[in-house]
Formats: sequence, structure tokens, C-alpha cells
Amino acid sequence: MPLKISDEILSSVEKPSRYIGNEWNSVHKNPNEMKIRFAFCFPDVYEVGMSHLGMKILYHLLNERNDTYCERVFAPWVDMESKMREHDIPLFALESHDPINTFDFVGFTLQYEMSYTNIINMLDLAGIPLRSSERTKEHPFVCAGGPCAYNPEPLADVVDFFMLGEGEEIITEIMDIYSEWKAEDSSREEFLNRIVSIEGVYIPQFYEVKYNPDGTVNGVVPKKDHYPDKIKKRIIKDLDQTYFPDKIIVPFTDIVHDRIMLELFRGCTRGCRFCQAGFIYRPVRERSHEKLLELAKKLEESTGYEEISLTSLSTSDYTRLAPLTEGLIKEMEEKRVNLSLPSLRIDSFSLDLMEKAQKVRKSGLTFAPEAGTQRLRDVINKGVTEEDLLNSVSIAFNGGWNGVKLYFMIGLPTETYEDIEGIADLANKVVSAYMGVPKEKRGKGLNVTVSTSSFVPKPFTPFQWEAQDTMNTLRDKQRFLKDKIKSRYITYNWHESEVSFMESVFARGDRKTCDVLIKAWEKGCKFDGWGEHFKFKTWMEAFDECNVDPDFYSNRKRSYDEVLPWDHIDVGVSKKFLIKESEKAHRGELTSNCRVDCSGCGATAFGGGICVE
Amino acid sequence: MLSSLRAKFIRGEEVKYISHLDLMQVCARAIRRAHIPIAYSQGFNPHPQMVFGLPMSVGVTSEAEYAEFDFSSPIEPDDFVERLNKELPAGLQIVEAKAKKSKGNIMALITTASYDILVSSTKKMGINNVNQKLDEFLSKPALIVKKEGKKGVRDVDIKPMIYRLKAEALKEEETGEEQEQCKCSNPVILEYMSKLSAIDTKKLSYEIDNMFCLSMLLSAGAAANLKPDLLVAAINETSDIEIKLVKVHRTGLFVGKEGRIIDPLDPAVL
Ligand code: SF4
Repeated sequence: MPLKISDEILSSVEKPSRYIGNEWNSVHKNPNEMKIRFAFCFPDVYEVGMSHLGMKILYHLLNERNDTYCERVFAPWVDMESKMREHDIPLFALESHDPINTFDFVGFTLQYEMSYTNIINMLDLAGIPLRSSERTKEHPFVCAGGPCAYNPEPLADVVDFFMLGEGEEIITEIMDIYSEWKAEDSSREEFLNRIVSIEGVYIPQFYEVKYNPDGTVNGVVPKKDHYPDKIKKRIIKDLDQTYFPDKIIVPFTDIVHDRIMLELFRGCTRGCRFCQAGFIYRPVRERSHEKLLELAKKLEESTGYEEISLTSLSTSDYTRLAPLTEGLIKEMEEKRVNLSLPSLRIDSFSLDLMEKAQKVRKSGLTFAPEAGTQRLRDVINKGVTEEDLLNSVSIAFNGGWNGVKLYFMIGLPTETYEDIEGIADLANKVVSAYMGVPKEKRGKGLNVTVSTSSFVPKPFTPFQWEAQDTMNTLRDKQRFLKDKIKSRYITYNWHESEVSFMESVFARGDRKTCDVLIKAWEKGCKFDGWGEHFKFKTWMEAFDECNVDPDFYSNRKRSYDEVLPWDHIDVGVSKKFLIKESEKAHRGELTSNCRVDCSGCGATAFGGGICVE
Repeated sequence: MLSSLRAKFIRGEEVKYISHLDLMQVCARAIRRAHIPIAYSQGFNPHPQMVFGLPMSVGVTSEAEYAEFDFSSPIEPDDFVERLNKELPAGLQIVEAKAKKSKGNIMALITTASYDILVSSTKKMGINNVNQKLDEFLSKPALIVKKEGKKGVRDVDIKPMIYRLKAEALKEEETGEEQEQCKCSNPVILEYMSKLSAIDTKKLSYEIDNMFCLSMLLSAGAAANLKPDLLVAAINETSDIEIKLVKVHRTGLFVGKEGRIIDPLDPAVL
């Protein structure tokens, strides 16, 4: 390892292995032979970033190119950051330990809004100007993608270009153009001009945002005729044909998800109305179980991992789950590889599977009814009934389980205190279900955990027009629920409403919120997703100083005819469909899932997946 | 019938910040990749049967670590070394492996360890001068230090735990021919020094020019364990040398048998 960061520094920080690189399957190339250097940045610490599947895919995909060297960059933890600032060490890439300000691209993946200040902080640590307008030919292009990029506006002044949708193809197209451009020595703008017509590329500086007197958006207007009016996201039509690495990096130290992750499918058929992922990733596209088995084998060989997990939005919906899991268990048993099965819908099939697949500790099973009454579950289109839930927990209790985690949201549209009381009632019924199981069959020591998060209205969902409950209302509701829960078997956890409030502002923010981000960072905000670093008061000061009212974004109900800051982004799902869904929600009407019946959401336009099956 | 072997390995710069536990995980995964027929423990949560010698502090490098492995079917030691080395990350390397017949495990057998450590003194000192001072230090009747143990801090006499302690110069000119034995010849230490000079030394809190190597043989293992950092603290407290510890490198681990110390791969203790 190059001794570029002194041992004095490394041995004085927590978890130095976050900064050393050299892990098994990490890619090392000679930088001098590379035409393109790409810094793939995850705006959080190593352990979090390394657990992210998208990064693993794109890292290896870019490194398949002979002309490109893609390296990883994570946000240094605060102890390391202060050492770096003290010793003038610029933000560096993990593989070469070279400073990233000389790279061609600095790309961020946007997984959650509360990581935005870390992006600003990382650019600053790298010595790259924070705003696109201040960058010159000496600087890298700053790009971004990931789920939060579907509302790119809060980062519009910072990011040079966004890549919308799934990255496997678009990133290659952009690298090809860059390679030509670099050979020519033409202007920065010329490069952006060449990629603007690639589907999925959004270049904020090419668009002007016009506002109405009341502060709402009047329109996002392309500055030149040939810039697209609408930017359409990219999808991969056939997951079996697309690139998937047969090697992934095996970290030296425990990360959040330290195992092989098999992505069964993208998208979700269910259409829960609060869930952004359920809309932005449409249409559902599955990998074949044969392909998955093949990938699992290759990854097991190349990593030596002892665990494989199945990941997707709703694993139970995978149509080939039985042959896949049978195949995996058969293949992996003798190799002593465990199969972990997250968030399965509980029925006799899945319980049987769990018994076979893992050495289960019969403690924790999770369920997400999301709302306490059937009325509200219908509003959010969560197709789960009380009977379903109680049946499932009874099956589990009969099988020896004794711990159940129940996830709910508070502050959902149309919610009343009756709905909240319903949460306590449901939890009590789960306790009764346990008591109804003969003593010799059930596990000892029941533990029911009720967790509530606060509803955050997200773009591209039927609830994108809704007002979020004020922080006071949310706190009242939490207190109310706390009082209603009396059983000693039930533990109640809730999320701090301040964080949800901030998420709500930036999830639906426009370009004006970008100044607030930078201001808050200047005032010391970073790692906002880490409770101990979240400074709510400082944030409020930043809003104040920028003359931006956070309630305008968070607590205001929009009308259907308002131009939303992300209306120029096209995820396939039409606004018309979302309005229809919103109206159905308020009438408490259900919409069936894509497998039962197509409800004409607009995603057929991509000509792939379930819509054309 | 289970077969076992004992292996000697290097822990280099690249992997020195990996904790002892993480290192075991790294080895376990390399063994899986190499398709080595490692034996697994019985029970609810089977894990690969391996034992590592003395746990190492984070940041320490070593040219002589030991581990033992049990197999479910026999494997030739050379075959083991070759296959595993292909799957080990840079900085970790098996040097040698030998079949093991005895029952005793390496963790319990180790009694002694040798180190070369790099230190920097606050004042520039000739190597002879340092050695003189170290002799004075070692001739004290007792060397009492505060040692943190499981039962809190207590006073310990470390004098009986120091078997050998000598300063070695890092550069030619300071020693002269007649003192050839006083020059450090460990390639790991010398390479580290050359890399150190290549970085921006203004950012270091110590003087590179005042550095020298301390070569030592200390008591180690379950019965009485003396780590180099504690020895450095004692030197700072009881002698008039003032030094800062820069790097610790382990050069050997030894098994005690009938008053002698023996290489762990010696047939007598295998
Ligand atoms: S077009 Fe129909 S089938 Fe396709 S995603 Fe939309 S609702 Fe589902």
C-alpha cells in the first residue's frame, strides 16, 4: 500500500480499515495507462456504502473498460475528516489513494436525502468548487444517479449532470462520448452538449426554472430548442442479458450487508401508494432463476462468502421463488453457505423454507402492516388484512417463534386518532394470538415491537401532493400511541419527527433549497442521517438565513394543476395515473397489482417487463 | 480421522489495520475460495476449525505469525500453502506449513516474542549512547510499571519479562565498521524507513532523523505478556531516554520447552 496517509493519522482514527482499500476483488490499474478516471462516491461511511449493490455493479462494469479506472470514495468519518483538514490531505480514492480532484468524473449515488450535506462536504474536502457554475476545465465533471435523482432539483446547482434510471447502459454511452471529447480538447460545455441528447441525461444548467409570485414553479424551460423538454429515465429491459459482475469486493471488516446479494427482480407489482420505489422502478422485470443460480455459484466461488441473501422490493412476489430457493439450498448446503431470506410474506411455504434455509434463531420476524385500520390500509393500497396478519403470526408462533416486529407509519393521508389506536389494537391482537398457542408449542418470552416512522410524501407517488403532518402533530400522535400501548409484551419505538420533516423538504424541494443545503453545510451540518450529528436548530437557521420556508415544501397541500419541481422528469408512470390513484386513495378504493390486472400506469412505454409479458 | 497442520504467515503493511477477528474471517473466506477441506465445529453455528497464535494489536506487522488448521480430509502442507496463497489478499502470505501431530494448541504454547520496533527520540542521540542508557535501564533492580489488566490497573515488574533489548542504527554513517552488529538489517524495517522518507515529513509529529530501531526479545503469551508499547513507556519513565513509538514489527514467536525457546515449526513441538 502506498504510504500516502501516514500511519500516525491512520492509527489515531476509529476503524482505519475504512481508508486502506486493497480488499479481495478490488480492482487495481495503472493510472497512467487510463484515459478516464472515475471516482464513484458514496456519501456515507465505508460500511454503509460498501453494502450497496448498485455501487458494486457499476464499479465492476466501469472497470471492465480498458480505458477507464473506477475507484471508490466514501465519506470519511468525522475523526478522519478533521485529521485530513488539519494535514491538508484532499479527499482521495480508496484504490490509488490519489486525490480525486484530478479525476475525470466524480459520481455520487443518491440513496437518501439526508446524505446531501455529505456530498457538499466531500466536494469541499476534494477541493472541487461546490457549484457547477464555478467549475472549469481543470475540474472533474460531477454527476449523480440513484433513486433520489428523480427529483434532482435540490442538487441542481451542484451536479453537472444527472443520470436517471438504471445505470448499466447510460454510463457506458457517456464514457464513450467522453473518451472522444477528451481527445479533442474542446470545452466543458461542448461535452455536456454532446450528452444532452442521451436518454436519461439531465443537465440542470441547460434549464431555466420560472416561478409564480406565490413561490410555486411556473415551468422548467430548456434554454435551447434541442434540449429535451422531458427527461425520460432509463431501464434495462432484460435483466438476464445485462451486465452483472461475477466478482464483488469482499471487505476486510464487517459492513452492514456483508454477504452476496442476489437481485431477483427490479420494480414491484403492488403499488402501495406511499412507496416511491414501487413507482419509480416500474415495470417489474425478473431475472430467471437459472441465471440467478449461475450468478450465485460464480459469486460464491470468487468471494468465499458464507451467506447469500435474496434482495428485491418484495421477495415473496418473485414468481420462481420455489425453484430458486430449492436450487440454492441444494447447491449451497454442502458448501456451508447460508441463505438469508429477508422480508418474506409469512405463510406455510415461507416458514418451511426458512426452516430449511437458515439456522434460524426463532426470535425476530417482521411484518409491515403500515397502518392500524383496514380503512387506512385501503387508502394506501396495502393489500394486507388483519386476518392475513393474525394468520401469519399464529403460524409463526405455532412454529416456535416468539418475537414479532411490526412496522407502521403515522401521519398518512386521511389518518385519524382512531387509526392510530388501531395500531395498539393490532399489536394487542398479536399478543392474544401468541397466548392462544399451546404453551408447549410456542417459544418462551413473547416480544412484540411496534415501530412507527413518520410518513414522508415522495415525488412520483399518488401522495406527492399531500401535506406532511406538522412536527407537533406527529409528536402528539406518537404520544397518543405510547399511552395506548399498555401490554408489557409490547415495546414501542418511533422515529424523530425532525428528521422526517427534513426528508420531506428535500424529497420535494425545488432549486431554491439548494442554497439551504450549502448554507447548512457551511454552518456545520453533515452526516445528518446519523442521530448524533443531526443538528436541527442549525438547519432551521440555514432556512431562515436563505429566506426559504421549509413548511412550504413540507406541510403544504398542492393542487393537481400545480407544476411540481420534478414534472420535467419522466419515470414512465403518468401524472394522470397518479391523480387517479390519489382520488381512489381518498375514496378508500384498492387498485389491483400488475399481475392480476394492468391498471394502465404508463410504464408500458418502456416495452419491457410485466407490461408486455 | 482429522488431520492438522501448523502454518507460519506474514502480516504485512497492507493488512496491518485489520483486527484480529477480521483477519480470521479473511482467512476463512480465502480457505473457502481455495476449496481447502477445512473441518467445521459441531453444533448450532458451525465455524471453521482454526486457531491463531498470539492476537495482534491493530497497526502491528509481523513476519512470523502462526495458525493451526484442522481438516476433514488430509491435505499436503505444500499443497495447502500453494492453494491458500493464491487466494490471500496482498500483505497476507503463508511462508511454510507442517503437519502437526501433537495435541497442544499454538495459542497456549507461545511463551516468547521478538520484535523490531521503530522509535524516534526527542533529542538526537548516538546509537552507542542509547545502548549505554539501555544497559543502565536494564541493570535497575526492578522495573515497575502500571499495567492495565482485566482486574484494573496494577503494578507489575517487567524486568523478568525482558530477555534482550538492543538499539540499532538505521543509517550507515552513525555506526562505523567496528559496530556492524549495531546496525538494523531487517528489510521490513528498512523498507518502511525508505517509504517514510518519501512522504511529507513535515506532517509527522516526530523527527525522522532521530529514529532508531529497538530489537528485543520479550515474554509473551498467556502467562506473562509484555507488549513493546509498555516497554517503551517504561523506558520513558525510568531512563533518561525519551522516545516516541513509531512502528511495531514482530520478528518471531517462540514456544518454550524445558528452558529453551524453540521455533513453532520445529519437529520437537509439532
Ligand atoms: S403498465 Fe400496467 S402492468 Fe405495466 S407497470 Fe403499469 S400497471 Fe403494471
